[in-house]
Amino acid sequence: MKFAIALYSAAHAPSSRRALLFAQAVLAGGHDIVRLFFYQDGVYSASNNIVAPQDEQDIARQWREFVSQHQLDGVVCIAAALRRGVLDREEATRYQRSAVNLDAPWALSGLGQLHDAIQDADRLICFGGP
Amino acid sequence: MSTLHVLSHSPFTDSRLDSCLRICGAEDAILLCGDGAYGLQSAALQGKGVKVFVLAEDSQARNLPLPDWADSVDYPGFVQLSVDYDKVNTWL
Repeated sequence: MKFAIALYSAAHAPSSRRALLFAQAVLAGGHDIVRLFFYQDGVYSASNNIVAPQDEQDIARQWREFVSQHQLDGVVCIAAALRRGVLDREEATRYQRSAVNLDAPWALSGLGQLHDAIQDADRLICFGGP
Repeated sequence: MSTLHVLSHSPFTDSRLDSCLRICGAEDAILLCGDGAYGLQSAALQGKGVKVFVLAEDSQARNLPLPDWADSVDYPGFVQLSVDYDKVNTWL
């Protein structure tokens, strides 16, 4: 079965970890993830500037490793990311910002990518809130 | 068409669970996770006849006993529920 997973919360929210463990269980169960879409505060889960406290799990890093390892399509909503200061090199250059905090395996793109993933997938599962 | 409703907010802090129960159909089920697991201690769910699941790690982390009207699932079980039900509606 094909899953699309949308994440609406930052890496420090328990729901981000829940989404990650769910996504891992999806692949372990022999299913496919057609796309991960990080929306609203979910864009923070893709920032590579997150420094997790030493006594806490680094969920942002675990997300990055998970997406890289399985070569998943990790899409970060560009509108949500720009307003929260999550920029890749292209956007930082475009808006003359000094900081770049988004790179591979993530890709900035539009909400249409979520719509497209929903059309392609058998199930859309959203994670957000606490 | 069956729907799995996923709740992660405590029913003691907002009205999501009540709203969910109002639209919950006969074939639907509720999965409690995060602070939503406190729904196990809410009178709102008892005797409603709606199928209730709770994410095991969240009920265990909160030391919530599992009532006989609820079932506990791990993450592979969560994935299976999302396959078994036609749609998954998360109460964000």
